Amino acid sequence: MTAQPHADDPTVAVAATEPEPIPAARAGKDDGEVVLEITDLSVRFPSDEGPVNAVQGLSYQARLGRTLAIVGESGSGKSVSTMAVLGLHNPKRSMITGSILLDGEEVVGADEQTMRRLRSSTAAMIFQDPLSALHPFYKVGGQIAEAYLAHNNVSREVARKRAVEMLDLVGIPNPQRRAKQYPHEFSGGMRQRAMIALGLVNNPKLLIADEPTTALDVTVQAQILDLINNLQMEFGSAVILITHDLGVVAEVADDILVMYAGRAVERGLAKDVLAHPMHPYTYALLQSLPSTHEDQDQLLTIKGSPPSLVNLPPGCSFHPRCAVRDRVPGDLCVTQLPELRPIGTRQVRCHLADPERVLEEEMRA
Amino acid sequence: MTSTSRIRRDAEPLVRVEHLVKHFAVREVQGLTMAKNTVKAVDDISFDLAEGETLGLVGESGCGKSTASRCITRLEVPTSGKVVYRGTDIARLSERELRPLRREIQMIFQDPYSSLNPRQTVGAILGTPLRVHGLHRGNEKRRSQELLELVGLNPEHINRYPSEFSGGQRQRIGIARALAVEPRLIIADEPVSALDVSVQAQVMNLLSRLRDELGLSFIFIAHDLGVIRHFCDRVAVMYLGKIAEIGDKRHIYGEPQHPYTQALLSAAPDINVARGIAPKERIRLIGDPPSPIDPPSGCRFRTRCWKAQEICATTEPVLEDKPGGGDDEPGSVRHDIACHFPEIKTTLVAEVVT
Repeated sequence: MTAQPHADDPTVAVAATEPEPIPAARAGKDDGEVVLEITDLSVRFPSDEGPVNAVQGLSYQARLGRTLAIVGESGSGKSVSTMAVLGLHNPKRSMITGSILLDGEEVVGADEQTMRRLRSSTAAMIFQDPLSALHPFYKVGGQIAEAYLAHNNVSREVARKRAVEMLDLVGIPNPQRRAKQYPHEFSGGMRQRAMIALGLVNNPKLLIADEPTTALDVTVQAQILDLINNLQMEFGSAVILITHDLGVVAEVADDILVMYAGRAVERGLAKDVLAHPMHPYTYALLQSLPSTHEDQDQLLTIKGSPPSLVNLPPGCSFHPRCAVRDRVPGDLCVTQLPELRPIGTRQVRCHLADPERVLEEEMRA
Repeated sequence: MTSTSRIRRDAEPLVRVEHLVKHFAVREVQGLTMAKNTVKAVDDISFDLAEGETLGLVGESGCGKSTASRCITRLEVPTSGKVVYRGTDIARLSERELRPLRREIQMIFQDPYSSLNPRQTVGAILGTPLRVHGLHRGNEKRRSQELLELVGLNPEHINRYPSEFSGGQRQRIGIARALAVEPRLIIADEPVSALDVSVQAQVMNLLSRLRDELGLSFIFIAHDLGVIRHFCDRVAVMYLGKIAEIGDKRHIYGEPQHPYTQALLSAAPDINVARGIAPKERIRLIGDPPSPIDPPSGCRFRTRCWKAQEICATTEPVLEDKPGGGDDEPGSVRHDIACHFPEIKTTLVAEVVT
């Protein structure tokens, strides 16, 4: 028997060891076409206690061939902002201002017909929990075929073939048989693959993945991240990855946008931001992570908890938890909201003139 | 580095788990009939826990880490095997006989939203275990306030309800409740995984402080390898109801020998990749873990293992000490591996130059 006893059986998984290229080392592909241009986006929801400011003054772009990671804690507005891109907020229960240009078309205030056309063909979304995102009563292949039929003038037979092709593409063994199964017959990792196949069936220019691996086990998470990476290289689409896991960002993202309490606090190349964070929040977040490869005596903590979006603190939203607030002269942090201002290739929302130096000094102290 | 002085290995272990088995009967639709199946959640595991020690249980969902811990707290009755706590086998004790021991073994749960009664005030939540065990009679309120202070909450908030607290604060209340009856052993089942990153570190530091101050022993369950490394002295890696590898955390992380441990370490996303330091080698498993209803014969990991040979399908590997590795040095903790072809790999995590 060989070292791989199940190599001939596609339903049994076989392990492989292969050195991978270092994804984060990719750089310099910043010439990709801008697919998504968000300018000064704000999303507010009414609530009993007053309006919830879920997203405020957010601007960013997504380019073809690049992966943008949006990072933040729960309630930081990362999901809310991307749901607005696909027009998934109920217009009666939300107030959206600003501009979202998706492949040149304005999404804010667009009618349902326009949105239907843009969804799936221009931008698609992968959700965290594929079991609730896939319809439990329909076969997986049928759901993918339906998405293809909605945007292409083809026969059912062609659409069905396309669905099987897509399942094959995302690495589902036995795609012919699998296409005729229901979502509950798939394992967690397989379901997420099917979800990705459904998202990519119309070859969208933008793929939004909202915590695509949070519900998965570590070894399966690694597979899915590799898959998203490889498919992006193949299709050359833009990917927005929403996550709270900075390790995931390091593995797959080109660019990073760190959000706190509905606002962008730091933006830049992922490898720069993770190696040399400039905003005190990004810095503290990285310091508070327990590591798999070194022993730490104490984890650095961020005191307190994220603020309520109904009642944001005045000035910089992070100031009540900021460790270097006393380095800013006067009470600027309490009275005035800092602008998102460029420092080198980076954009940082902080009053400190040279936050990196201050943070380094603080670390040594 | 956490101090090893709090661990007393020379004495009788606090907990000794011997051949613990927990099977659940499930009914599943098979064709037109219902079939009776057995989920082999925990299938013959043995380990011990020294007084003052923290053992980490790590593995993917369905590997049996939670079930094993629930058997030790006797929230589940083991199918067979022994759980010896300070010389007494508690696996078969009646509820009445267990009562005094319940005080010594307490649990912290994962979800701070569902593990606290929303209709009880914090005072009632913390007072209940005191009343049940007849502790601090007449002084329950003062003791509850002491507990709140111990976990870093405002003692004046004793009349508030859980809904008035944030996730991190609720988890602190859960910790205070576990500490109310002055336990010796705490089983923490994913205590920080429901929390935001910035709050997670606060709770981890709180647990470290309490462990040092109160001399607690822990069985700590997590799926996050960084969290386990930070908090535990010894680590047991579980796969489909079995222990694949168990040893000192230095050996598990520094020189893992079981292919599954290696794959797990290799799959954990690593921030250092962004700093330009990548691990020399990467292992990617294919497929998902098999179902614990019908686990593979022989070694349970063989269907995903790149080293699998014929012997792996026929003979189940024994969890035993293998020659080689840092645990051969005198004074080291045993490092046991359940694999026919163990091999030390040191290239899986990025080297950090300091």
